Order: sequence, then C-alpha cells, then structure tokens
Amino acid sequence: MAEPRFAVGDRVRALPVDPPHHTRVPRYARGQVGEVVEVQGSWPLADDRARGFTDPRVEPVYTVRFPAAALWGAADGHWVQVELWESYLEGER
Amino acid sequence: MARVNDVGGQSGFGPVTVEPDEPPFHADWEARVYALNVAMLRRGAYNLDQFRDAIERMPPAEYLAASYYERWLHAVETLTAKADG
Amino acid sequence: MSGQHSSSETAVRVRRLEERLIGAGLTSDDELDGIIGRLLAGASPANGARVVARAWVDPAYRERLLADANAALEELGLSMSTGPQPQRFTVVANTPDTHNVLVCTLCSCYPIALLGPSPSWYKSEAYRSRVVREPRAVLSEFGLDLPEGTGIVVHDTSAESRHMVLPMRPDGTDGLDEDRLAALVTREGLIGTAAV
Repeated sequence: MAEPRFAVGDRVRALPVDPPHHTRVPRYARGQVGEVVEVQGSWPLADDRARGFTDPRVEPVYTVRFPAAALWGAADGHWVQVELWESYLEGER
Repeated sequence: MARVNDVGGQSGFGPVTVEPDEPPFHADWEARVYALNVAMLRRGAYNLDQFRDAIERMPPAEYLAASYYERWLHAVETLTAKADG
Repeated sequence: MSGQHSSSETAVRVRRLEERLIGAGLTSDDELDGIIGRLLAGASPANGARVVARAWVDPAYRERLLADANAALEELGLSMSTGPQPQRFTVVANTPDTHNVLVCTLCSCYPIALLGPSPSWYKSEAYRSRVVREPRAVLSEFGLDLPEGTGIVVHDTSAESRHMVLPMRPDGTDGLDEDRLAALVTREGLIGTAAV
C-alpha cells in the first residue's frame, strides 16, 4: 500500500492501455487528460484480481474528472468522473 | 480491443426504456441466481472481478442477446464448472 | 433486454446449477433463502430516502454524510457492509449549479446493499452507453429538463465505491416532517434521473 502519487487538483492522463484481460479503464477515457478530484484510498487492482492472483497489487484509486468536450468533442458541457487505479494513470503537465 | 461490456459512448442502443413499478426480480430464478452468486462470492469460490470477467468474455452476440440475470447465470456456471461434488 | 431462452428453460438450468453447488457443499437452501430474504426485507430505495430526508432537516448530518457516508449511514442503523465485500459509499449533493447522475458503463455497479437491486433501465446498454455522452438528452427523456446553466457531472462507477445522489429539497416543503419528506424521494432521484 503505497503513498498516493497524485493529489487532488493534479492533472493526469489515463494511459492508452489495451490489455488482453479484464480492466476497469473505460475505453472512452483511455489516453484522455483529466483532473484528480478525490483520492479514495487503496484497493486491490481489479486487473490482478480478475486473473486470480493471490497477491494482487494494492493501489490508490482516484476519482478523475474529464471534461466531456475532451471525450466526445462538442457535447452537453458536462463532466464525466471515472474511478481509476494508480497504474492506469500518468502525470500530465 | 475493448470488450463488449465497455459500451460508454457507443451509439445505436436506442432510447432508455423504463418499466413502471418494476419488481426487484422478474422471476424466482433471477432471485436464485442472485443468491447463488452472493453465496459463491462470500465463500471465495471466485471474486467480484472474476465474476465481471466471466460476463465480459461472453461472445458479444450472446452477451447482447442475454438478459441481465442470464449473464449472471452464465458467469456462475462458468466459474463453478470445476466445483463438482 | 428480452432473453433468448424461454423463462422455464432458464429456470430449469438454474435449478440444475443450484443442485450441483448444494451437492458440492458450497451452499445450502437455507443460505440462499436467507440471502434473498434479507435483501428483499432490508434493502430498498426507502433507505436512501430516509438518509436524504435527514440530510434535508439536519445540516450537521448533511455535512457528515457528504464527508463520510459509510459512518453517516450507521447513525441511522443502515449499512453498506452487508454485501460480499466492503464498499466505500459516497453521497454527492445536487446544487443549483451542479446536477449529479450515476452510471456504471462497464457493468452495473449500484449500492444494492442499501437500495436493493437496480432498475433494469440502469443496467441497460441504452442507458450505460448514452448517459456519459449525452446526459441532457437522457435526463430529458426521464422528464428532467435542467436549466441550461446547470452543469452535469456523470459519475461512472468504475472501482469499488458506490454512490448515491442527494437531491435538492423541493420548494414549499418547509412544514413537512422527516417521514413526509422521505416520501417525496424517488429511486430515480437517488440515481439522478429525477430532480427528487
């Protein structure tokens, strides 16, 4: 259980991953930049649990807010919040 | 290669239809499948992500044709296939 | 979502599965009956409505609810920890500027332990695919037309937290007690597809 790498207000990018197994990064968020709005504490990584690993990685989970315009082009002017494990993310300046 | 369950933003599913006064379950078997899954999760026969994974691995046409609890049934069957008495 | 199998055929399949798992010693009739009984008796949108009504009449409770919803539930004798694994619970408050709406695009995550099984529309591909992309249109189909200036936050439940919306207290309800207020709250209000 590591210290969270990101804090509320940080800009992060969801990695453009495409793993051949269960994951919890919706494809619409992959590669997109959002802002951390909450740090949820640490949880076992879904990808590892789905593969039956007896010792899944335990990582901070972040609520990341994406502007809809970034996800869909012009849209309803809304935001979409997605809950992402730390290894799904990289820092964005 | 997103899986069939990953539908956020996908078009073509039509309007959202609401069933007025919908009961918690539509048939006894739905409640039984619900309970079987909870019992297996509690027992550690598999975990919630393995359960989700089993649903996501359904062939897309089968996934889309199945009702909600038919998907659950498929997952419980698949994940317990080796658990014979 | 009409099934591809006739219901009786599926019922037979379920019975076979049940017999096999009971035969393998993995569960029992009593356990299964207990799970269903407790769900139907204990989990319902009425629980969420009680929480909302308390938050409307008690500003200090509202603050505690928004800060730590798991603990605030327990103050009312409610819990999110009756399920197979612990779940973090959060409540998000609607304001004149911001409306919240919940979805799980990847599957169907929902606070079942508190509110009971989710409605079919919540689990439908139509809702899951569209509400993240065009929430205003979806909400409008539900009869909820938000003012143009109101921003919408769509919460995609993609990890192990579960959420509930705290609707705004309707105007003209000053004289109502908690029970009457709770009666105004709908399941759709708790998901965010209705104003209350």
